[in-house]
Amino acid sequence: MFKKILVSTGVVTGAALFSASSVFAACATDSLPATMEGPGGFPERALTMIVPYGPAGGSGQVAQAMAEAVTGHTKVSINRDHKPGGSGTVGMTAYMAAPADGYSVLEHIDDASSAHALDSGRPNPADDLIPLVTSQITFSQIYIRTEEDRFTDWDSFVAWVKAQGGKASIANVSKEGSMERVTMKFITDATGMEIQQISFDKGAPRYGALAGGQVDALFEQPGDVRNFLDAGTFKPILTILKESPEAFADVPNLVDAGLDFEPLLRFRGFYVHKDAPADRVKWLQWAFQKAYCEQSYQDYNESKFMTLIESYRDTAGSIELINNTVAQYRDVYKVMGLEVK
Amino acid sequence: MVEVFNNFLGGTITLFSDPIGILIFVGGVVGGMLFGAIPGVSMLTLAAILLPFTAHLKPEHGIMLFSVIYCTGVYGGAITAILFNIPGAPENAPTAFDGYPMTQKGQAGKAVGAAVMCSAIGGTVSAVIMMIATVPVAAWAIRAFGPPETFALVFFGLAVAASVGAKTLWKGWLSILIGLMIAVVGLDPVGGIERYDFDMPYLLAGIHFIPMILGFFAVSEVFVQAEKKVTGSYEAPKMSVDFPTFKELWSHKIAVVRSIFIGFFCGILPGIGATLAAFMGYNEAVRWSKDRMEFGKGKIEGVISSETANNAATGAAMIPLLALGLPGGALTAMMVGVFQMHDMEPGPLVFINSADLVWVVFAAMFFANLSIIFIGFMETKTIINLLRIPFQFLAPLILLLATVGAYAVRGLTIDIIVMFIAGVAGFFLRRSGYSVAGIILGLILGKIGEQTFAQAMQMLYFEFSGFLDRPIAFGLLLAGVLTLLGSIYGAFFKKQPQQQPE
Repeated sequence: MFKKILVSTGVVTGAALFSASSVFAACATDSLPATMEGPGGFPERALTMIVPYGPAGGSGQVAQAMAEAVTGHTKVSINRDHKPGGSGTVGMTAYMAAPADGYSVLEHIDDASSAHALDSGRPNPADDLIPLVTSQITFSQIYIRTEEDRFTDWDSFVAWVKAQGGKASIANVSKEGSMERVTMKFITDATGMEIQQISFDKGAPRYGALAGGQVDALFEQPGDVRNFLDAGTFKPILTILKESPEAFADVPNLVDAGLDFEPLLRFRGFYVHKDAPADRVKWLQWAFQKAYCEQSYQDYNESKFMTLIESYRDTAGSIELINNTVAQYRDVYKVMGLEVK
Repeated sequence: MVEVFNNFLGGTITLFSDPIGILIFVGGVVGGMLFGAIPGVSMLTLAAILLPFTAHLKPEHGIMLFSVIYCTGVYGGAITAILFNIPGAPENAPTAFDGYPMTQKGQAGKAVGAAVMCSAIGGTVSAVIMMIATVPVAAWAIRAFGPPETFALVFFGLAVAASVGAKTLWKGWLSILIGLMIAVVGLDPVGGIERYDFDMPYLLAGIHFIPMILGFFAVSEVFVQAEKKVTGSYEAPKMSVDFPTFKELWSHKIAVVRSIFIGFFCGILPGIGATLAAFMGYNEAVRWSKDRMEFGKGKIEGVISSETANNAATGAAMIPLLALGLPGGALTAMMVGVFQMHDMEPGPLVFINSADLVWVVFAAMFFANLSIIFIGFMETKTIINLLRIPFQFLAPLILLLATVGAYAVRGLTIDIIVMFIAGVAGFFLRRSGYSVAGIILGLILGKIGEQTFAQAMQMLYFEFSGFLDRPIAFGLLLAGVLTLLGSIYGAFFKKQPQQQPE
């Protein structure tokens, strides 16, 4: 059903499937100059990074890791200003109201792209902002408890769910138009499964729901449940990519499972206002892109399973990623019957 | 048990035989208390500042530091709640319900003393249970307690909340309903549907309860006292450092035990934590009291129940974190970051791979809770002297602290506006016999209740009868309904003592 509208976005995931080893052998921004003089002494004071989520979650952590990496190689301090709420809307609004002088940068995730796809009145991260770097791109998987005996793999899971007549459940973040809900629609349409999605906006209750048997499966990204995977509590039964990353070579991917749709990716990046002075933007691009290859940042990404597929995009790559994502969501929303403004 | 004791002894020796460890322990105890006492600048602020530096500490020192800050930070907010009606953190809000009226009655020493003792008791017992039963308790909690049970627990708590601080039961219920209505502003917690935002993006994030607490308690109190000053009826709070006697505390032993149970139970639920614990502890004290209408007017049992419960949640919150890798709240989520900085992950393997570290942390939490008694009593005699500050100097200081606290939550100016609106509204609502405590109860429990109700309905496939199949949820709902019927019966058929508005 969605095949036709999603073919155009195959480049998004195709380009993402670099091998992790190539990233480490020669990091993406190694060729950038080691130092760069700021225009007119810029920055003369600390930068402010607006983070539209709390400090303890994935966005808060990547903001901290990137800020430390930038400070590490430029010696410029970055104050993180967390403005959580409204699925990132509050932070975005606050950032758009901040002076476009290059001293304020924004961290945001793919939610900004999906929000713009649903309502073009919301800022477009590729047009209204200039992406400095996309530093995390990851994929989703479906997990079950390792000790589960009602089903043990994707095929038996699908068969079991179908046999329950709609009385099966999966924990995710199933807000309207979210990547999780859209992806689950792809999967249920393709398999004929009827499964109840239970929406948990925080990670811990979501993971606890699976660990405690309150739900039958979990939709999540591997970095967020790495400790459960390492401890052997959860196991993935489906990788929502067309090619399996080496670390999950034994887990069926979309092709193996006979699911023909383009996967949606989760990505996090850093932005500056489009009206910021061009010379300052150039320095910020250098500072953030160079920071991506700082050892501290690479270690952080590795700890979060963010090196399984290529996580790096420069400004042009980020714009392409965002534009493709917006187009993909917009087409899907129309098919889903959502009102696209 | 012998093995537990030996492990605890080993952790204690490791903790106190290392001068750096002792330094970090003391720093965490004092820092947690200080940051916990200042509204807005909470223990979370301190933890966020310290997080990057923990990379340079030994793993056991970094994790121990955070666990100690957690214990004493939860207590620290009680002091300003009692003395100035400014809860240092949401989990101290119920402490202000009765703590501040006690200060006005000249019983500040008793209120602070009760908070010190009960925080220490709640935290220490919780730490002991944590040492004995972390793994089995965590496994039981996540299996037995899902969204339907949490919703039922919230319903059970709300059923009695109308009794808190209002002139009549009906005004109590209206207060709760106001809180529940405020709780629905913003994105709905499950489907992400925009509600009551009036095209203002900032309202999408909802009305945060901290500015509301600061407005209803601190700001409206300044207005109330200012009015008294203008009309010549102002009386400065009487100074008192009379701590509660052992006999007084012993007479509330059942409230303490009940709050330990409630606090511990709420603490082990991932994502719930100390705030719900404090409110539920307070509500149950009201439910089981013979003179429930005295709550909100300076009843020491209110302070005891709230402070015992919120500290009992601290040790309990470590259980899902350590046993399952599930953080119970923001601070325990930051502790996951500390683990990861040292290439470790909390979860079942921690007990196998890093047992020494776990027992140092357990020992540190035990002694941090005990230290609340000593440091609490030492600082109390000094802090109570703040009440000597004349009102004309104290009032601007309170407004300044409250403004900083409201802004610090999310860095949003609208939170300051909300705080002052709540302050003005609180001033008039209190004069009219409505309960600002009830509004806060409705707001906090309403947010949790709405989310868990929606999740429960999804989980039960939108069939109400699904609650019947879950004994804990059904039992709590039934008890809540009976409480409601009992209060309605009481309102119609029993003569209620006429209450004075707050």
